[in-house]
Amino acid sequence: MGRPLAIVRGVALLGLTAREVRVEAASSPGLPLLRLVGLPDAAVREAGDRVRTAITRHGLRWPGERIVVNLAPADLPKAGSAFDLPLAVAILAATGQVPIAAAAACWACGELGLDGSVRPVAGQLPLVAGARQLGAERLLLPAAAASEAALVEGLELLPVADIGEVVELLGGRCAPRVVEPLPRQAGVTGPDLAEVRGQPVARRAVELAAAGGHHLLLSGPPGCGKSMLAARLPGLLPQLTTDEALEVAALHSLAGLRSPEQPLDLRPPLRSPHQVVSAAALVGGGSGVPRPGEVSLAHRGVLTLDELLEVPRAVLDALRQPLEQGEVVLTRSRARVSYPAKVLLVAATNPCPCGYLGDPRRACSCRPDRIERYRARLSGPLLDRLDLQVSLRPLDPDALVGAASGEASSVVATRVADARQRAAARWGGGTLNRDADPQGLRHATDRRALARLAGALHGVGGSARAFDRTLRVARTIADLGDDEVVRTVHVEEAVAYRLPATRGAA
Amino acid sequence: MSAPGLTGLAEACREITAPGSDPELVAALVAWAVRPRRTLEGVRRALASDAGGGTPARRLRAHVLPHLDDDDAAHAAAVIARWVARGCQLSVVGDPGYPSRLAEGWPDTDGPVLLAASGQVPEDRPTVALVGSRRASSYGTGITAWLAEAAGEAGAHVISGGAVGIDAAAHRAAVHTSGGTSVVLACGHDVDYPRSHARPGGLFDGIRRAGGAVVSEQLPAVPPRAGVVRARNRIVAALADVVVVVEGGARSGALLTATAALERDRVLLAVPGDVRASGSVAPNRLLGEGAHPCTGPGDLLEHLDRLAHRAHLAGTGGVAASGTAAEVDRADPLSALPAPLHAALRAAWPRAVPVDVLLERVELDAGAALAALTRAQVAGEVAEGPEGVVLCRRPAAPQRLIS
Ligand SMILES: [Zn+2]
Repeated sequence: MGRPLAIVRGVALLGLTAREVRVEAASSPGLPLLRLVGLPDAAVREAGDRVRTAITRHGLRWPGERIVVNLAPADLPKAGSAFDLPLAVAILAATGQVPIAAAAACWACGELGLDGSVRPVAGQLPLVAGARQLGAERLLLPAAAASEAALVEGLELLPVADIGEVVELLGGRCAPRVVEPLPRQAGVTGPDLAEVRGQPVARRAVELAAAGGHHLLLSGPPGCGKSMLAARLPGLLPQLTTDEALEVAALHSLAGLRSPEQPLDLRPPLRSPHQVVSAAALVGGGSGVPRPGEVSLAHRGVLTLDELLEVPRAVLDALRQPLEQGEVVLTRSRARVSYPAKVLLVAATNPCPCGYLGDPRRACSCRPDRIERYRARLSGPLLDRLDLQVSLRPLDPDALVGAASGEASSVVATRVADARQRAAARWGGGTLNRDADPQGLRHATDRRALARLAGALHGVGGSARAFDRTLRVARTIADLGDDEVVRTVHVEEAVAYRLPATRGAA
Repeated sequence: MSAPGLTGLAEACREITAPGSDPELVAALVAWAVRPRRTLEGVRRALASDAGGGTPARRLRAHVLPHLDDDDAAHAAAVIARWVARGCQLSVVGDPGYPSRLAEGWPDTDGPVLLAASGQVPEDRPTVALVGSRRASSYGTGITAWLAEAAGEAGAHVISGGAVGIDAAAHRAAVHTSGGTSVVLACGHDVDYPRSHARPGGLFDGIRRAGGAVVSEQLPAVPPRAGVVRARNRIVAALADVVVVVEGGARSGALLTATAALERDRVLLAVPGDVRASGSVAPNRLLGEGAHPCTGPGDLLEHLDRLAHRAHLAGTGGVAASGTAAEVDRADPLSALPAPLHAALRAAWPRAVPVDVLLERVELDAGAALAALTRAQVAGEVAEGPEGVVLCRRPAAPQRLIS
């Protein structure tokens, strides 16, 4: 005997990649036991208890027979509480409380409370987007996440607030709620570049960083305005498209940093982890399916790292691969996931261990060998990725009063957008000058400028490794000046964005 | 010779013995120096306490030769090979190839028994030692370059150590002047330290090519330990007629050089420094203790001139210029810098100007100004350090240090 198999589909996430999970439930005579098969993790096993309590406390019937639920495919790791809802629907269908056909036409994701309420989970947005990608047409989901889900186009949403509403809705006894998509938040609302007085070199470097996507190193004593400049960088970047913003929001959702009621932010993100950040927190990690780290949370935006030289070497090394490839690949025994990580890195450092080297108001108290060792730590592969290196002076309050206020962020952002368009038209596919192919770079560079670059790098003690990096910056300088050819003067300016301290090493 | 092995050694030493010294004695002294628990400084002390007569060479021979055996010769051969490879020449104290200033009063003064040199320290011109710390401020390196260039162009020879900072600034400014420059190493000739100076085509090569000397009293492989640096400073002071302390901390080697200068009866000058800076402690303290203030090339040239005048009466060379800053003016060099940038740097010289401050003063577009500064840096017109940008040479229009 027994009823036909009840099937509901759910979504498992590996990073941002969605996989279809079929939740199959069958009831058969026997002791009233619930058996879950198909490699469920601890949270999914607990789901059995949650679903049972939610169903019974909500006045629905828990079957007096044996229920077997299979989550297929078995080889797919399934973590988290998002399988509560498909599990409950499958059991309700298997026990005849909702029509099997209605359940089979649905995808579902959401967590159940013990009181039967249906709640959003961490990563709700990528689950919804994943369901759509996998071909879902109707999606049962927590009502609280419906407006957010409505940003994903092409889905019929069935928002439910509790398990009772599931039964009503799938039984055809009520109509789906009407959903308004979330508003999009746009415009420059961050701090404005006009508030930065003086600092002409750093202002220029920040503009170049925004235009070419070049990673930026700011060196200067405490309180010289390093973080002030970094905070204004996202405001110079082009606004995100809806798709880009959804991708960013999905990453934040996975990290549990986004509530579904938050408007969709079209502004590039800014992440500023503390320098004692662990490698796992920076690039992603954690047990089970690894979570995105700061470098992915800053995807399509700005990642700042203060006190770069205080960050442990191992952590810096972990940052290399994401910076080079624009994505993080994390391998765990149960899963290999990748998260996008196209960031603009703004690293800050003191000029010496005590911080006051070059400060006119205070003498540096560092021993020369310590300064040498400190600076030596600035070398290496990560530094090679920091195309722009700028020394900042301590802010002189007197000078600030007199200094003219700078250009507003909106003015600079217009130039940045134009320069980015030129680069995109040249390289194709939204490639930034930062990632430009060295051969292509040389091709559009004046021959005298190339000779000048080699000579200038030699003249300031730079090495051949700095060649391409400097040429990339020169390309951006030319783009900002609307010049298709990189000329000598562009190269000469680009050479200037290198710290005197690192010239030997770089 | 007392041991047959030493005869072969003397043959090997022929190539590295300076004209006027005896290869056999050089071989014997090297053989002495390479053995543990025996030093040539010990020999000097023994001779100083012994009232014997004769030339230093004769006294050394009598003291050293009876105590050598073939074993010593075997150890010495490898060391000599290193000097040969490095193109050095060894001279014995008191011999014609050995700097006479360094030999004055020996063995009661502490000139090294053997000196290894590539090139020869000129004897015929007034000589100034410019000393200061490795960790130099742009003020310190700027003043050093100013003094060294003026002294060199007036025909005086410049002596300094081989370190980065003040030493390097002195050599760079004077190496191509008529006076020239020589360096006293704080290590053996076979140790490339500091590497940037010792590499082929580096500062030391430049000094040799320009006719200056690179000297060391150490065996070829001796590294730059603290004790060796201190010993080196006494040679720097002894080789000069005038010693200028530009910068140095409270316990810096510059103070030891100053002490050595006074022991040798050299004229001691100190450059007044910023009282807030740790690098000003040594010169300011010396000023308090009676050193002559050096507020520019005029002060230095005046002392050199006075010495040269005395020397002239004694029949040697003299200083070409009489010594005020105005008289060592040169034509304004063709500048790679836009006029306002050049003017701002000239006004600040010899202080460095932070780039941001510079750009605010000149009201040029940041990109264009940075490009111009790179151009000037490549041309050797400006240098950039942690404190900002500074003109490498004293600007043509006379500038006062204290404005
Ligand atoms: Zn310091």
